[in-house]
Amino acid sequence: MSLVVVGLSHHTSPIELRERLHFPETEISHALLQLRKRMDGAGAVVLSTCNRVETYVNHAAPPEELHREIRAFLSDAHQLPEAEFRPALYEYVDRDTVGHLFRVASSLDSMVVGENQILGQVHEAYLLAQSEQATDKIISAVFQKAFSVAKEVRSRTHISAGKVSVSSVAVDLAVSIFMDLADKTLMVIGSGEMGELTLKSLISKGVRRVLIVNRNREKGEALAAQCQGVYVPFDELGATLHRADILISSTAAPGFILQADDFQRALKPRGNEPIFAIDIAVPRDIDPAVNDLDNVYLYDVDDLQKVADENMEARRKEIAQCMELVDKGTEQFCRWMRGLIVEPTIVSMSTELNAIRERELAKTLQSLPDLTEKQRDEITYLSKRIVNTILQRPMSQLKQEAVQQDPHVILHLVKRLFGLKESP
Amino acid sequence: MFMKVLTDIFFYLGMGLYLLAPVLAIRFLRGSNGSLLPATRLALGGALLVVLSFLLRWFTWGRLPVTPFDALNLFILLSTLIMVLVTQPEPMRALQCFYLPALAIMCLINVGVALRYLNVAPKELPVTLRGLPLTIHIGLIYLAYALFFVASMTSVAYVFQSQRLKRRQTSGLFHQLPSLEQLDRTLYRLISYGYPFFVITMLIGIFWAWAEPKLLGEQWWLSPKIILSAVMVAFYSVSFHTRRFGLLRGRKLAYFVFFGFTSLLATSIVLALLNLSTYNFWGKPS
Repeated sequence: MSLVVVGLSHHTSPIELRERLHFPETEISHALLQLRKRMDGAGAVVLSTCNRVETYVNHAAPPEELHREIRAFLSDAHQLPEAEFRPALYEYVDRDTVGHLFRVASSLDSMVVGENQILGQVHEAYLLAQSEQATDKIISAVFQKAFSVAKEVRSRTHISAGKVSVSSVAVDLAVSIFMDLADKTLMVIGSGEMGELTLKSLISKGVRRVLIVNRNREKGEALAAQCQGVYVPFDELGATLHRADILISSTAAPGFILQADDFQRALKPRGNEPIFAIDIAVPRDIDPAVNDLDNVYLYDVDDLQKVADENMEARRKEIAQCMELVDKGTEQFCRWMRGLIVEPTIVSMSTELNAIRERELAKTLQSLPDLTEKQRDEITYLSKRIVNTILQRPMSQLKQEAVQQDPHVILHLVKRLFGLKESP
Repeated sequence: MFMKVLTDIFFYLGMGLYLLAPVLAIRFLRGSNGSLLPATRLALGGALLVVLSFLLRWFTWGRLPVTPFDALNLFILLSTLIMVLVTQPEPMRALQCFYLPALAIMCLINVGVALRYLNVAPKELPVTLRGLPLTIHIGLIYLAYALFFVASMTSVAYVFQSQRLKRRQTSGLFHQLPSLEQLDRTLYRLISYGYPFFVITMLIGIFWAWAEPKLLGEQWWLSPKIILSAVMVAFYSVSFHTRRFGLLRGRKLAYFVFFGFTSLLATSIVLALLNLSTYNFWGKPS
């Protein structure tokens, strides 16, 4: 049996090519059906995301043949000549396939290392294949192991710590200041793409109370309606500032619209509870001196970008430790897979010896017709015990050999010694 | 002899576990996420061994050992339990990185104190001191001390987290620690539990000293220990009430609690070293 993967990712191909080879979610079932028609009895999973298209197959055919078939399948499925995408493909076999899948699931192969989305996507791809009955024992086992390795990588390292996009950094910082965003008030001053993106991210994290401050009443009310917030006229900003736990400012004002004094005044009625101010306007809306106040945390665009860059760097430093866990998981899985190789031989050995036992037992029992039922049972039991005892040592030795090294040589020898048939 | 050796083994092994726990916490800081639980278990193991060594001493000498050494042990045990309780919820776990090293320092001091007390027969308590009032008095006061101790370490975590936010250094431990709001609430909760315990202890002590004038001497209120306790009550009263009414919150409160506790601790150590108390529970009243 060979476990192979053929795929392409953001590392090997431009987005134009990935788009052409992408399988929409609704078409994956059909694709699996087509793939399994080509390779009868194959276990298969198709993983198709915006950054990668990968086809995992487990089949008895030699790996080169499987690679060829998968390439042809991709070419037919997308009506694209093989030559156009072949240079971008990577093709792995057995151990390399396992290692690759574990790296992908652990988000070590992602464009943004440590991102959380990929594990869900791999999981969905596997569930879809499972629902189409396209998985087999090996495919199921390798994907289950991939999920457990990915979880281990996340829980035992800091690979997912710290966000790496500006809007998610802002949300992350809000979470590190406030215990629960659901009971916090978000104030948005002005409008702007980044501001709205951050607003959406914060709402998705549970913020319920939103105040929209805008000089333009129409614009403000529209945005407030969009996020079920309340519009506050711009000239009431000073009087309502104390209500804001999180403040996003992105106006086009030429100078500062909020000074340290404004925040100082706002802190008193709120019992000095902290305010997290995000100034994403250029030029800035909030005087940087505000950050010197106790219980006020001010971040501008550059600060958020700096945090995002630092987080990315910190994640990169974690990769070596993550790779150790991936390698450990790969080794464990390959041992288990090697153990599976000896299973048919063990079954054959057992069948062969038991056939001899039954043959010889029948002869013996025939020559001893005066035996009672109990004595016949005793002799049958004895014969079984002898065969089992003889089999015990070679069976355990075979399993051990398989786990420690390539078992093909010893398997060949055993088959010759016991006169067993060569399995395909 | 055997019992003394066993007592020594239990005690020093317990202290060893306490000293080992921060090493695992440091491993956590260096990226090993799974090392905090073993660190907590080591501290709990240490606590168990300290209890066993205390029970052995009690058994060996045939009387309840009440010495400064046992008081410090009680303080460490209670601090450990509070620390474990506080860090039970998942986001609070990383606070162990602040608690465990502080506990290890207390254990190092304890090892020094043990050299003088561990294998020496504890003095018999005066008859008037034996009974429930002493148990409640000492139990509550050390519970309050332990709560204040853990609060002061929580305040260090708050200052750390707050400084990192202000300076935009948000990598490493920053992501593992709970939110500022959660740290602030924990800090307040620890003070709000410790403060009433401390006040109750003081009231029991005052009533006791008044009801039994021979117990602590005629001028018990002049004892530096009593004066220090009064200062502590005043200090934690200010901390508790200013936080309660939102006058002092966040970093300033954290600084206040930390420096307040450490200066009070330092003062009480100096008082103990200079033997300035007019009374103590482990000798005869002067």
